[in-house]
Amino acid sequence: MKRHPAFAVVAGWGGLNAILLAVLVLYGENSMTYWLWGASVAMVELAALLVLVSSRTGPEQHVRYRVPDRGAGAALPAALACVLTGLAFVYGLWLLALAVPLLALAVALAVRGTTAREE
Amino acid sequence: MTSAPPSTEETAAGKPVAPGGWLGWVTSTDHKRIGLLTIGTSLVLFVLVGILALIMRAQLAQPEQDLVGVDTYNQLFTIHGSGMIYMVLTPFAIGMGVYLVPLQIGAPGIAMPRLTLLGYWLYVFGAIVMLAGFATPNGAHADGWFSYPPMADSVHSPSVGSDLWIVGVFLATTGSIVMGWAVLWTVLRKRTQGMTMLRLPVFSWSMVVTCLMVIGAFPALLAALVVLAVGRADPSLFVSNVWNIGYQHLFWFYGHPVVYVMFFPYLAAVAEVLAVFSGRRFFGYRGTVLSLLVFAALSMSVWGHHMFATGQAANDYYSLTSIVLLVPAGVEYFGMLGTILGGRLRFRPPMLFALAFIPQFLIGGLTGIMVGTPVIDYHVTDSYFIVAHLHYVLFAGSAFGLFAAIYFWFPKVSGVMLSERGGRLHFWLLVLGTNLTFLPMFALGYEGMPRRVWTYAAFDGFGLFNLLSSIGAAFLAAATVVFIVNVLWTLRQREHGRAEPAPDDPWGAHTLEWATTSPPPRHNFTPEHPIPPITSFAPLLDLRRRRQKEAADSGSRS
Amino acid sequence: MRQRHIFGQVFTLESIIAGVVFVVVLAVFGYALLRRRAGRPVDPSQRSERPRLESYYVGVLGAFAVFLVAWTAWQNHREHQSADRPPVRVDVTGFQWCWTFAYPQATERRSVSGTCRGDDLPTLVVPTGRPVQLKLTSKDVIHSLWVPDLRYKMDAFPHHTNTLTLTLDREGRWMGKCAEFCGHLHYSMHFWIKAVSPEEYDNWLHSGAGQAVAS
Repeated sequence: MKRHPAFAVVAGWGGLNAILLAVLVLYGENSMTYWLWGASVAMVELAALLVLVSSRTGPEQHVRYRVPDRGAGAALPAALACVLTGLAFVYGLWLLALAVPLLALAVALAVRGTTAREE
Repeated sequence: MTSAPPSTEETAAGKPVAPGGWLGWVTSTDHKRIGLLTIGTSLVLFVLVGILALIMRAQLAQPEQDLVGVDTYNQLFTIHGSGMIYMVLTPFAIGMGVYLVPLQIGAPGIAMPRLTLLGYWLYVFGAIVMLAGFATPNGAHADGWFSYPPMADSVHSPSVGSDLWIVGVFLATTGSIVMGWAVLWTVLRKRTQGMTMLRLPVFSWSMVVTCLMVIGAFPALLAALVVLAVGRADPSLFVSNVWNIGYQHLFWFYGHPVVYVMFFPYLAAVAEVLAVFSGRRFFGYRGTVLSLLVFAALSMSVWGHHMFATGQAANDYYSLTSIVLLVPAGVEYFGMLGTILGGRLRFRPPMLFALAFIPQFLIGGLTGIMVGTPVIDYHVTDSYFIVAHLHYVLFAGSAFGLFAAIYFWFPKVSGVMLSERGGRLHFWLLVLGTNLTFLPMFALGYEGMPRRVWTYAAFDGFGLFNLLSSIGAAFLAAATVVFIVNVLWTLRQREHGRAEPAPDDPWGAHTLEWATTSPPPRHNFTPEHPIPPITSFAPLLDLRRRRQKEAADSGSRS
Repeated sequence: MRQRHIFGQVFTLESIIAGVVFVVVLAVFGYALLRRRAGRPVDPSQRSERPRLESYYVGVLGAFAVFLVAWTAWQNHREHQSADRPPVRVDVTGFQWCWTFAYPQATERRSVSGTCRGDDLPTLVVPTGRPVQLKLTSKDVIHSLWVPDLRYKMDAFPHHTNTLTLTLDREGRWMGKCAEFCGHLHYSMHFWIKAVSPEEYDNWLHSGAGQAVAS
């Protein structure tokens, strides 16, 4: 725990949530809330696990950083694809015909790397 | 002992893009740009949905008025609340984290910058989609920011504006979750040498707990919106009470933590400002860190206090956890008051807003404990008492923290200083406006004025306090105009090279962002501006003290 | 008026506590602003933790919390004690945008409604001194029955019945409002609740529909 304080914080916070959930169960509430909060605790503990794995394979504090310097050209078309997908639920599935190519473009830009980089 | 500045290995690809050009902004992986985009967008939306509230206050200034129609009014309060919560205070808070956290932990950038940028775009487009409801024939969504079914189903809210609201809020919330995850990963896994968890600045700790709540609770809103969308496609869903009450559980499981997401970063900004302008490190750091974690965990457990009047919630439990909140809240106040009690106070504009936060938020917090009691809440819930309470915590509290943050960090971000006189004028107008607008609302709610009413009867006796409140709103508008003019004028002066330049550390501050230039270079710290040794959560203060001591020692020796 | 009475006790005590806390914080705050400002000969403190003081303080806060939790839970329980006698029953149905009050104990099926437009507000008639059990539901969306003078509200859900028990101990007429946003005319969905003597109530209840209660 002491060697991985970041993990301890996240896991501990999830644990606090679990205790509070247990008290709710004692009081009794709509069982849907047990699933809801239980899922939340599970997600937080999963995040804690990711932090732990990362902490064990990498340094706790950094001296050298690797900074990705490629442009993020994929972000905008990916976001637009999400918007169009959402709007497809409102205005009709034909919008997917626009969304899917945009998503493909975003994937291509992300994988290949954008042709632009910042100075 | 000095630590080496972070070195970066750049993986270059393709043609360079001018950083100042629009493409440079739209595809940036610089967390400072992404943070600024987020903050800038949220401030524009703040003004827009704030204007909606001004229209509402005009309508309510006198009984039985008809300045706007009732259906328009219902859209106004819906988009005002939805905008302020989903599209202003939450993204601004996360945006502060995106900008400041890498700097405060000594990192050259944020973890997952491309994902962070994606989060920004989802937020912007989400806001546009939600607001686009106003352009549709039957207007925007009109069932309030929590949008309970069956009122929000396709039978009772048939207009497409409601569908757009669902999509817009879903997108923006997804963007917030994505950005929150990136900030959390950054502060947990990208700290520089010497930056242990217990040397994190208070603001960075606030972002830890804020982002924990984002990942723990925000997905529940996505689930609630899906339930709403499914119910709009198939109205038979909300024929069973299970889904009507179930929606409220899903919604408020998000809906309470979100108000703490809209509180902790601003509280922490106040804490940073109080410490700097008291000339000493923040008091009670360890208790504050622990109480932030406990506060955030408790905030995940109190959601049912929004459901006391439903007759279908475990009221005793939620009342217990809501009242217990007073313990970590009290510890926060211990820290803030202890800081100024032992300080040497300088009343610059950031400090004015930070100081006003202390009594103003307290009003909101104390009334919050009161409404955490079912006996009191049965009377005042869904009345203007709650409107007063929520605006005291979110506006008299968090928004003052927001302005403290802006005045404090503006020089660092922009490289120039804002007008001090403009800051003071903004401050006093805002204090007057805030208290005049929201204090009378406590009485209005207590006396029987429900929320979300287009008008009220002359015989109700609500006229005087509503008029006072609306006059207060005019002062809020004036204050905001002063602020906008100050910012825009200063930025324009900067374009012409006539603005007062900001040094690295204009305030004598404590944390690492003040050790680099204003604005910081692309990778935050350079060999010319290395990170000082991390000796505590206030490394610059420690450095200054050490240098003073060394100067005094060498002076006494000669 | 049990709810109003209990509300009065709880609200008064909590307001006093809140007021005292606010004044104390304001005093400390004011002291800092006046005595610690830069113009005065003060040095910033080097001492940034006082763990023992903080522990005592947390203890005091915790004690307050324990007291408030226990006391308010007890008061909440007092507010919801079930009737000691067989209650008078009224079935209340909220709908967009008015209320219907039905009296299942009347000799002939008795129901009062209105349009809630202008003066056409329906009146919920109850006897003084006897527990009145309202069974509350909705025909369409969620509404909420609020009588500000009684300091109590409860939500009206469709496909669900909430039960609340009131006892009005004196004659009079009070206005009720809808307190859950329910659309277009939410702002005017008002009603009256009127308490009359038990004799007058019985006369009215068993006299058949159409007989107005003397106002």
